[in-house]
Amino acid sequence: MRETVRRAGWASVELLRAAGLALASYLSIGVVIFAAVAMATVVGAGVLPESVLLLRRTAGYKRRLVGAWTGESVPEAYRPLAGEAFARARAAVGDPATYRDLRWMVAHAGYGWLLACCAIPVWMIGLLVDGVWCGLLGKRAVVLPLIERLVDLDAAWSRALLLPSPEALRSARLAERVEELSETRAGAVAAHGAELRRIERDLHDGAQARLVALSMRVGLARRAYEKDPDAAHKLLEDAQDQAEEALTELRHVVRGIHPPILTDRGLVGAVRALAAGSGLEVSVRDDGVEDGPRAPAAVEAAAYFVIAEALTNAAKHSGARRASVGLVRMPDRLRVAVRDEGRGGADPSGGSGLLGMRRRVAALDGTVEMTSPVGGPTLIEVELPCVW
Amino acid sequence: MRVVIAEDNALLREGMVLLLNSAGHEVVAVASSGPEVLPALLEHRPDVAVLDVRMPPGFRDEGLRAALAARREMPGLPVLVLSQYVEETYAAELLADGASGLGYLLKDRVGRVEEFLDALERVVGGGTALDPEVVKELMTRRRDDPVDSLTPREREVLHLMAEGRDNATIARTLVVSERAVSKHIGNVFAKLGLPPSDSGHRRVLAVLAYLNKGATLNKGATSEGESADRR
Repeated sequence: MRETVRRAGWASVELLRAAGLALASYLSIGVVIFAAVAMATVVGAGVLPESVLLLRRTAGYKRRLVGAWTGESVPEAYRPLAGEAFARARAAVGDPATYRDLRWMVAHAGYGWLLACCAIPVWMIGLLVDGVWCGLLGKRAVVLPLIERLVDLDAAWSRALLLPSPEALRSARLAERVEELSETRAGAVAAHGAELRRIERDLHDGAQARLVALSMRVGLARRAYEKDPDAAHKLLEDAQDQAEEALTELRHVVRGIHPPILTDRGLVGAVRALAAGSGLEVSVRDDGVEDGPRAPAAVEAAAYFVIAEALTNAAKHSGARRASVGLVRMPDRLRVAVRDEGRGGADPSGGSGLLGMRRRVAALDGTVEMTSPVGGPTLIEVELPCVW
Repeated sequence: MRVVIAEDNALLREGMVLLLNSAGHEVVAVASSGPEVLPALLEHRPDVAVLDVRMPPGFRDEGLRAALAARREMPGLPVLVLSQYVEETYAAELLADGASGLGYLLKDRVGRVEEFLDALERVVGGGTALDPEVVKELMTRRRDDPVDSLTPREREVLHLMAEGRDNATIARTLVVSERAVSKHIGNVFAKLGLPPSDSGHRRVLAVLAYLNKGATLNKGATSEGESADRR
């Protein structure tokens, strides 16, 4: 009995909220109508967007209440109100969601109130009937739970009225996607910038510095050539060493930018070369990547570096002797999977290599999934969107 | 000796011609793109072909493909492949039909004129010249193997053998006697479980086959994957 009353009590609180909201709705409707009328004057243009925002907040509050009661959230989809006063007013008036909200508000001002009023007689009858039926005879309560049904009714109606139109929902999703893309694009631009700075620094500190040193030694050797041939010989020897080191460094930098073997052999050939040099027994499975047009260079490079990193990790940490690499051409993406039969337990968040891998992939709007249960196997799956 | 050069970069091509001429060799033809190589070789029948890997029209591995084609068309033709960077995979492809008269070196090595000319002579003489970088990669790969049980000196000897050096050169490089080198080589072969072989390309092949075992395994696994794709 106590539980029944408690639940009925909570439901009543919901209904009281609905009733309160209904009361507030009268005011809101008044404000909106006033603002709409005042649109004729200059002041109205300033007031209208504010009152529409108030409308949105009220509707948003109800959405949250309904979401909490039913356990299923009610999505919202509004056009943003931005810019100067008239643009805001135009957006507020032009947004179909404003009229949906108004419709709900008018309806709710009626049914929200009505349902709350219905609860009062239900309480009185319920306490009497269920007091005997449930409290004394120990049967299931029949009347008081009706209050919960009243809230259900309110939730269902409100939900139906507050749910945005499919077009609005679609455009809201699109807006969200655009935001997501601008974010990853900004990330990609930042990553690209960082990459350029790294390359610039590598060249500046490495090959460039060595070439300067080399040039100096050649110059000194020329001066010493007549007077001290031995010294000149020694200087030239040093200069040649410097030249070789500069070449080695340049090769290193080039590999970091775009591995030459990718250009020569394409992704599958380059991955096979990686596999052969990994120190593991690696099987490479190609599902359509080698046939037909190649993926964009950035996608190929990202896939290559991800696989290189995964195989290096597998060889270094997993204790595995075998691994497999899968490359799959999908209509709008490239799928890469690297699996090793090692001991697993790799930390999916940790490791600078893995972080770099995620960043590289995220910059191309791709995804990285990693599973590594203790005892293995470790599986890294990467999807890179691309146009073939 | 008579040499055909394939190199698309004019600067490097002229440098190479200069270098070879100054050493008393004759450059009979120069090719500056992949498709020109084979006809030039067939026409001039040189003593050796010096080929760059990356050349027009595709700027991919035209030179390497030309080298493989040349060795198929003209068996026994000594070929020296030069590249801005070395790939184990390419070395394996070149070595697939024998190490005799074959060289695969970084372009950087040309700067060490004496050594480069020595490598060229070696290749023309039916020997092998494999870039230290390739050998290094091969050696680091077989790290959890008997290679580990070698002494540092024996590893150096193995390294030089894999590059295709003969005993006398190894002795000179390490500043030891030839007898000491022979002893080290004997030890290396015993530790790796390889049958002893004379100096020459057979020895190089044995050493490379040993170092390359991992890659051979991979090749098997790869073709398995390929056949799975075709199904």
